[in-house]
Amino acid sequence: MESLEKKIVESDSLESLEKIRVELFGKKGFLAAEFVKLKDIPGPQKKEFAEGLNQTKESLQSAFDLRYDELKQGEIETKLKSEALDVTLYGGSAKKGSLHPVMETMDRIIDYFVALNFAVESGPMVEDDFHNFEALNLPKHHPARDMQDTFYFNDGALLRTHTSPVQIRTMLSSQPPIRMIAPGAVFRRDYDLTHTPMFHQVEGLVVEAKGKVSFANLKSMLTDFLHTMFGDVDVRFRPSFFPFTEPSAEVDISCIFCKGDGCRVCSQTGWLEVLGCGMVDSNVFKAVGYENVSGYAFGLGVERFAMLMHQIPDLRSLFEGDIRLLEQFR
Amino acid sequence: MIVTRSWLNEFINLGGVTNERLYTTFNSIGLEVDSIKSYDIPQKVVVGKVLSCQKHPDADKLNVCEVDVGDGVKQIVCGAANVVDAEYVAVALVGAKLPGDLEIKFATLRGVESEGMICSTSELGLPGMGSGIMMLDESIGKLEIGKELRNYETIADTLIELELTANRGDCLSIYGVARDLSVALDLDIAPFSHQSKRGEKIGIARMAELHSKGEMKADLLYALMTTDRIDLPFLIGLRLAMIEAEAEETIEKLLTYATHTTGVILRAYDAESLKHDDKISLNVLSQEDGIVILSAGERNLGSVGIAQNATTKPSAQNRLILLEASYIPPDLLVASVAGKSIEKDTLYYRTSRGSEPNISFGMEYLASLLENDAALFYDGSLGVSANHKRESLIVDCEEIHSLIGQVIENGRVIGILKSLGFEIQSSQSERFGVRIPQFRHDVKNIQDLTEEIVRIVGINNIQAKPLEFVESNRLGETTPYYAFKRGLRERAVGCGFFENVSYLFCEKRKLDEYGFDLLDPSADLTNPIVEELNTLRSTITVNLLEALGRNIKYGAKSVALFEIGAVVDTDRREKEVLTLIFSGQEALEGVANSGKPAMIHFASFAEKIGLIIGDFTLQECTYSNKLLHPYQSADLYCRGKRCGFVSKLHPLVQEAYGANDTFIAELDMGALIPVHKNAKPISKFQGVYKDLSLVVAKDVAYSKVESEISSLKIEILQKWYPIDLYTDEALGEKKSLTVRFFIQSLEKTLEESDIEYVMSAIMKRLEMSCQAALR
Repeated sequence: MESLEKKIVESDSLESLEKIRVELFGKKGFLAAEFVKLKDIPGPQKKEFAEGLNQTKESLQSAFDLRYDELKQGEIETKLKSEALDVTLYGGSAKKGSLHPVMETMDRIIDYFVALNFAVESGPMVEDDFHNFEALNLPKHHPARDMQDTFYFNDGALLRTHTSPVQIRTMLSSQPPIRMIAPGAVFRRDYDLTHTPMFHQVEGLVVEAKGKVSFANLKSMLTDFLHTMFGDVDVRFRPSFFPFTEPSAEVDISCIFCKGDGCRVCSQTGWLEVLGCGMVDSNVFKAVGYENVSGYAFGLGVERFAMLMHQIPDLRSLFEGDIRLLEQFR
Repeated sequence: MIVTRSWLNEFINLGGVTNERLYTTFNSIGLEVDSIKSYDIPQKVVVGKVLSCQKHPDADKLNVCEVDVGDGVKQIVCGAANVVDAEYVAVALVGAKLPGDLEIKFATLRGVESEGMICSTSELGLPGMGSGIMMLDESIGKLEIGKELRNYETIADTLIELELTANRGDCLSIYGVARDLSVALDLDIAPFSHQSKRGEKIGIARMAELHSKGEMKADLLYALMTTDRIDLPFLIGLRLAMIEAEAEETIEKLLTYATHTTGVILRAYDAESLKHDDKISLNVLSQEDGIVILSAGERNLGSVGIAQNATTKPSAQNRLILLEASYIPPDLLVASVAGKSIEKDTLYYRTSRGSEPNISFGMEYLASLLENDAALFYDGSLGVSANHKRESLIVDCEEIHSLIGQVIENGRVIGILKSLGFEIQSSQSERFGVRIPQFRHDVKNIQDLTEEIVRIVGINNIQAKPLEFVESNRLGETTPYYAFKRGLRERAVGCGFFENVSYLFCEKRKLDEYGFDLLDPSADLTNPIVEELNTLRSTITVNLLEALGRNIKYGAKSVALFEIGAVVDTDRREKEVLTLIFSGQEALEGVANSGKPAMIHFASFAEKIGLIIGDFTLQECTYSNKLLHPYQSADLYCRGKRCGFVSKLHPLVQEAYGANDTFIAELDMGALIPVHKNAKPISKFQGVYKDLSLVVAKDVAYSKVESEISSLKIEILQKWYPIDLYTDEALGEKKSLTVRFFIQSLEKTLEESDIEYVMSAIMKRLEMSCQAALR
């Protein structure tokens, strides 16, 4: 009996323990043979023998269970150790790409206005004189056309110099009330350190019944917009001139780099110009056949926003597909 | 437009106005300040009087001067040639610290002691005025010997550069800016007055006459003078240097100065050369098209506001000079000039933006500059004037309020308009008439007037109010498209691609070389900006290849870029495409691949595309540009529609860009937009997978096998896909293709016979159409 227990305790693997299990507990094993003897034992000793046998079985079973757990634990431990890995090696093994900072900025701008229930509208990039200039109160030979150096095609078509023609197309194809933005690429014939022949604008337009929309409304929304984009900045409106709006204003934010003290980015002024806006000129409404309406419009350069928000110093680098720049925005 | 404080002071008194207030006011009235610069003249630079001037005994180019500097006479050695003519000069005394860390000390120059320095403008940090020292005169203010120059406001001036909007021609002069400023600052504007000291008088009519023809559209005024000498006071020279004016002759400089000051278009003519029989006969011809031509006898003098015949300009030798002041309405002029090849001189910019209509003011101002003891003016003047239509507007204060969104008191509105030069015709009620001043040709309607009110009230004084809006769904078509595009971009980023933005332009030569569509010449760009961007792109692949090339140059081993953007076809129709490029190593270098990641290959590129756009199939390539690899390219079909190509980059192109294995794809965005889907019932019964190994000719594409199976339209055949491709010598010109089928019924558990039926139907079809055999 003791030797049997010793055998269990000394077994050194799950395989040898399994052999012992069969020897002891199997159908043809030690215990089964002992129980067979029971039927030959006369009455009075039978009970005593049976009790002894049950005790033996129990103590063997518990010795077995104990040893089994020990061996199982050991085996798992060995398996775990054998699978050891320096997991810290694999931290940066795959990387995602990134959205382009200009496009990502445009997304954020669109999100803001969509949340205010503005529709997103689009239009062609190859435009005609009517939609790009004439309807926007920029008649032929208007001096303000000089402000926008235009790409022309041999058949007289042109590349849109701003996203404003989308306003005209939207007004011509629908009726007020209108609340829309037009994001997209625009083109001017200018190519130097601070100008690229293509850049992106987001244009906004609101048209309501006459008397419903005022400059005060425009001011309220753009101030909130700029706070959403740039955080806690001061916002300043300066009267300006655009042929398609009257009154017009340019909007500045306090310089986000020097907090208004004056630095290189804001040319020591403490202010950064970020938006143009105004009340839609009545000549524009006339051109699309609207009567008794009022409205406001605004426009901004997406590259300018992106460069300010992400401190990107070089405009042209945005059009180079340089991964060294792009991977910083992962 | 450049103005200076002291120059503005000729018309308004800015005495109590700080530079900060000036800066804020300019910005708030719409005259944006580009830059502001104060000339800080160093201490110990004083007015000195040259008492004597002698050649230096040992140096040809030096002079030894005795200079009275107020508290004594100093001996100063000076190297400037013009010191011999100097009377009053700027002297930097010993101890003065000049710009550029130059401290003035006692010095001995070639054995002669020197106690200070006689200065030029640039030595004091002022704009350069050519060679030589400053020759001061009373134009800068009363000259007091020993007075520090920093105490002369005309010299220690503040220069302000204004960025004018296109409509504000009225502010292209010192006077115009002062006029606008006077309203904003509530200061009086002083009218220009000049007491002529002209002595003996001969009437101009004895020398000249003027004839006009046509309906006159311009105002013209002429004066005549003789002179032996034209002076250029120091201050005028200094200010012209400040505004960087370029003029040769002194008379030209004075004309420029007078025009910059008054805004009136001023010219001068060599009158001697215009004389015919001792008389000048001027002819003014007002043409139908709005251009006004001037001539004297046979000679063409030029056209009003556009250009002057250069040979009629006076030179320093001319004694008899004809002066001209003119005005022509810009709207009229600009429309007439456009489209004609007419020579225009520098003044045209001013006339086209709207010059000052008060021409007698300009003429008086110019005369005051030319007057000296050697000048003699003929009495009176000659002139013509046009009958300019003065526009009127009916102002409804209610309309102004509703545009602004705030009530501005009637009295305030009228006050502002009056001070801006508008004439109020009756101011009793909410509605009144307003006559627009001639110099504000840009004001045409009530909105323009509202802008004037807003400018002076200040936008920052308008209370912001949220807009009340009746809401409706504004989703439309473009808004959901943006959302779709956004998702697509995010997935591309998730697959390791970087978003690229490139120009809509491309180089014609490259598109042609690679066999892409070219714009019809009649629809091509007329004025491209550079050769490399001389047409619109018909593909984004070429732009992405350029970006690839740059990244390879920077040493990138793996380049994955995508761009969603517009391209055009031969007829310049626009569409949006998604273009992807993946070049070089597929994974990052790391332990997993022992620092040697595999190169991108067709299967993994296709897998990435699937992760971005969803389900697609590939068919034999029908595109034919030269970027495509002839044996590794395909048409990509999305939901049954062909939407672009996927290909390995042609090895020749790859080589040209120095790239490793590279794959490209260009897909129509329109075809990628997801369609509406309905759920199909899911079977409750067990399904079965079956593999079939076929032997077919090498040139039988899987897509052929696929479409044959598909055309069987077996309902219980749920899906099938290729799982193995095998070739060896024994198979020769054939290949072994293994396809896995999944068979499942919606109605019952399949029986062996059902499965056999399906498999034999497939085999039979493939034997027939693809000459397939069982392996």
